[in-house]
Amino acid sequence: MWETFIITPLTNVLLWIYQVVGGNFGLAIVIFTILIRLATHPLMAQQIKSSQGMQEMQKSKKWQDIQKKHKGDKEKLAQEQMALYKELGISPFGACLPTLIQLPIIFGLYQSIMRALAASPMQLLNLTRSLYSIFDMSKLIPLNSHFLWMNLGQPEKLFLPFLPGVGIPLLAIIVAVTSYFQQKLITPPSANPGDQGAAMTKMMAIYMPLLMGYFAMTFASGLAIYFIAGNLVGIAQYAMLGKLDWKNLIPGAKKGEIITK
Amino acid sequence: MKTKFLYFTLGLLILAFLLSGCSGGMTPSSWAGVTTDGETAYVAMASHVYAVQVSNGMERWRFPEKPDAKKTFFAAPTLTADGQLIVGGYDRILYSLSPSNGSVNWTFEDSKDHWIGSAVAGDDMIFAPSADYNLYALNMQGKLVWKFTAEQALWGQPVIDGTNVYFGSMDHKVYALNMATGKLVWSSELNGSILGAISLGPDGVLYAGTLGDSVFALDTSSGKTIWKYAASSRIWSAPVIGNGNLYVGDQAGKIVSLAADSGKENWNIQPDGPVLGSPLVLSDLVVIGTESGSLVAVDAEGKIGWSQTITGKLYSTPVLAGDLILVAPVEGDVTLIAIDQNGTQQWVYTPAK
Repeated sequence: MWETFIITPLTNVLLWIYQVVGGNFGLAIVIFTILIRLATHPLMAQQIKSSQGMQEMQKSKKWQDIQKKHKGDKEKLAQEQMALYKELGISPFGACLPTLIQLPIIFGLYQSIMRALAASPMQLLNLTRSLYSIFDMSKLIPLNSHFLWMNLGQPEKLFLPFLPGVGIPLLAIIVAVTSYFQQKLITPPSANPGDQGAAMTKMMAIYMPLLMGYFAMTFASGLAIYFIAGNLVGIAQYAMLGKLDWKNLIPGAKKGEIITK
Repeated sequence: MKTKFLYFTLGLLILAFLLSGCSGGMTPSSWAGVTTDGETAYVAMASHVYAVQVSNGMERWRFPEKPDAKKTFFAAPTLTADGQLIVGGYDRILYSLSPSNGSVNWTFEDSKDHWIGSAVAGDDMIFAPSADYNLYALNMQGKLVWKFTAEQALWGQPVIDGTNVYFGSMDHKVYALNMATGKLVWSSELNGSILGAISLGPDGVLYAGTLGDSVFALDTSSGKTIWKYAASSRIWSAPVIGNGNLYVGDQAGKIVSLAADSGKENWNIQPDGPVLGSPLVLSDLVVIGTESGSLVAVDAEGKIGWSQTITGKLYSTPVLAGDLILVAPVEGDVTLIAIDQNGTQQWVYTPAK
């Protein structure tokens, strides 16, 4: 099911783009990522809308009153919370469901990139079985996996002439930096800055970019290209929706209100 | 209430979908490579190279002793005349091991990509193809003598004739280089990637199978095509010569016998699944494995003599060790199986955890 509905179609679209752009796999990954993000944009917009609604509700006086009133009764508090969601027209699943729907596509995107790179016999065998008959296999294989200074099937390190023997994981650094910027720019200010959730968000903003950078350093650089393109497109999507909070990037600056268009 | 139920069901469906995506993650990235000196079989399979006694299927040693996630081996090890076992890993290191105990003699660490194809050894040089596009020529102490860069990855074992070294590449070309200097003698562009080894016939003709569904016979002196045979599908491994004929299998599952001098088809059979490995040619039988797990023995007329079904997929080329045929299935219960020439299983080898 996963193979038929996700990996195979995505791999074929990726390779079709690869052929259209004249055999540049790096460029194909970038275009592919943009297209996938555009296709899932309505889901993302829905997610932002729901998250924002919940944030606003958390800050509302009515909710704070309810919390005070039912402090010791969790069951009643949950009932009142659901009633308030209903009253304000917020769907509690609206924030996570779009993410859940996007997840298979993101996983599939990664798997299709690795499938198309076919860096081992088993991967190549799987690729030969994934391709639709529109492709002439003998001409398509091998893919040109070189992009700029990188072999997209291998982890990347940049070797500079004045630093012999020292490889700089440049892509991993770019992945970590763009992930950090994305996290900072798109995370709305917490309704209760002192609470556990806010602390966790703060920690995530540090650990997630490091984790992404580690992945980019360890796995094929084609994946790092996908991460970078995804981060930049993600920032652009939020900017288009007017949801970026540039103040989050400036240390010590007063965190802005949730910006609405 | 209806909405809640809808969300719950949808959530479960998505979760099931995601989990189905995780299930295929443990498939190995290749299949085992097997070599033997008649007494010991050397099996490169995933995290180890195993030395297995041919007489009884008992393990003699394994390298490395403890699994290391960074080290995986799939290329068939190469035995040299001076008693080394050369094996390349996915850790980009080419190892020289002692065939008697698996200890490391030397390592060569210049490759920037996996070692997928096996090396070939002459009397005083080793030629090792790397997925980093280079053919590395080393002396017997593992020092680089020269290297030649092709336009794409090298996955197949080269052949040597005392003067030149010949190899195919993913870049669709077969190359001939001078063994001593590494200078290009000729290159010949075929109609698809050459994934496996190429064969050198006793008549000095090279035979190569391509992803372009073809078998080519090439003149070793010029690289010119002598004949070309249109197969029914992609060819993954080397055609094998025996008794004046050439035997090759393809991804559609067809096994063909061709006249080596003309490329004319003698016969073809299609047992039960894709054929990715080369056949083992014996005096009166051709033995070949299929993806469906059948080990098929065919006689000179193309009649199936016997067929043995094995649990797992047979992608590797069967090898002859004394009187036994050794096969290494993937995704099966065992790592190596010994079968006699009547198709009766003699022993199986499963590595102890």
